[in-house]
Amino acid sequence: MKTFAERGFPGRLIAVEGLDGSGKSTQIYLLKRWLELQGLKVYFSEWNSSEIVKAATSKGKKRELLTPTTFSLIHATDFADRYERHLVPLMRAGYLVLCDRYIFTAFARDVVRGCPPEWVRGIYHFAALPDITFFFRADLEVSLQRILDGRPQLKYFEAGMDLRLSTDPYESFRIFQGRMLEQYLAMSTEFNFVVVDANQLIETQQGMVREIVSRRVDLEQFRRAERPKLTERAKAAARQDAPPKPLEEALE
Amino acid sequence: MKRSAKNLIVVPRRSERRFYGHGIPKVELETLAGKLIVVEGADGSGRSTQIALLVEWLEDTGHATVQVGLKRSTLVSEELDRAQEGNILSRSTLSLFYATDFADQLENIILPALKAGFIVLADRYIYTLMARDIVRGMDEEWLKNLYGIALEPDAVFYLNVPPEELMQRNFAKNLSLDYWESGMDIGLSRDMFDSFMQYQTAVQKTFKYLQREFGFTIVDGMRSADAISADLRKKIGAVLAGRG
Repeated sequence: MKTFAERGFPGRLIAVEGLDGSGKSTQIYLLKRWLELQGLKVYFSEWNSSEIVKAATSKGKKRELLTPTTFSLIHATDFADRYERHLVPLMRAGYLVLCDRYIFTAFARDVVRGCPPEWVRGIYHFAALPDITFFFRADLEVSLQRILDGRPQLKYFEAGMDLRLSTDPYESFRIFQGRMLEQYLAMSTEFNFVVVDANQLIETQQGMVREIVSRRVDLEQFRRAERPKLTERAKAAARQDAPPKPLEEALE
Repeated sequence: MKRSAKNLIVVPRRSERRFYGHGIPKVELETLAGKLIVVEGADGSGRSTQIALLVEWLEDTGHATVQVGLKRSTLVSEELDRAQEGNILSRSTLSLFYATDFADQLENIILPALKAGFIVLADRYIYTLMARDIVRGMDEEWLKNLYGIALEPDAVFYLNVPPEELMQRNFAKNLSLDYWESGMDIGLSRDMFDSFMQYQTAVQKTFKYLQREFGFTIVDGMRSADAISADLRKKIGAVLAGRG
């Protein structure tokens, strides 16, 4: 598989991966702020999938209709939708695109559910790899605690209850997350993850993230073209004082 | 001496089972006692007629049947319909959506029915899905991996009807041509007639190409329904007797 740069896209994609509660969303948010405050063309992909795919996914989850295979396929459908409708156009338009999770989440999750790794990877083969993937590695107990402290209601699939690891959702979630971590670590070298120690202070991590991004991406290429601000344009328009054109003339 | 009714029923012989690729995790293939029969062909090729005739014959001869087809899953069939109405999904997305529909039926209908010893009649299978996508330029290896989940059927019949005849049958039945069956999404031609002919010709070529790989039986769909049915019964009879 090739990265977006290797596939000749003018844009660059930066992804963060890690367990729930590893702090990755905070880190990518801070990265986004830093980039946009420099006036760069940044897009943070919030993963809005189209209504139709979303409807099928939530129906499957609510009614617990999903098997490992259909769970994998419906998420791949959802990803393909966002990839083709959103990411590819942005990457062609030369944006810096930030993604909170990418295909590696699916690789880890589906394999933990028992899907063959080569099958899952093959399905996502249409997608280019990120130009940088940060993996936030926190101690399992730390990330578990963060999630379990804040949000005691675990959803069925989120807790991996379909795997029958335990009848207790919290215990199931712990085992599931532990297996996810194993999968992430096994992929780390293969996919060139930049591993960030997520037990450090937020600032320390962000400093490292920014340092790596500025070293590996030529940020100047992503500067927005200077355009007069709206207020200036409005003033200029007001100064022209031209009489309004008659309707017939304007329609011609 | 009068033969008892019992002796007229052929008890199907077990077949060697395999998935095309990775398959579905944790399925014990040797427990699948039933048979999987697939009828493939374009709209207007006579698939539903043939399946109805087969069901009648199979039930008459003591076999229980279950029918599956594309876009019939509980999971995504409605959503697939809506997506197609608006033509809002791009290529890989639509393709994966169909694969989800297929997988849902495979796991929830086909495999349990085979385990219970039913004859499963599939009104199209992965070959139509693959052929459509190949015509749309999707990568063949990608498709083979994706549909490696599929179980190899006991028999696959492709009802071959030339595009000119399909065109006539579609008009006779619906008075119009279907947007997707005309391949209008590909943009071959703005003219629906031209697009239909080009698209169906391309699909047919692809089926012949896939036939070499998957080895299904090409059936001449230009004959009468009864003649075709007799042909299918003969072949399926052989499959049931373990001579397939």
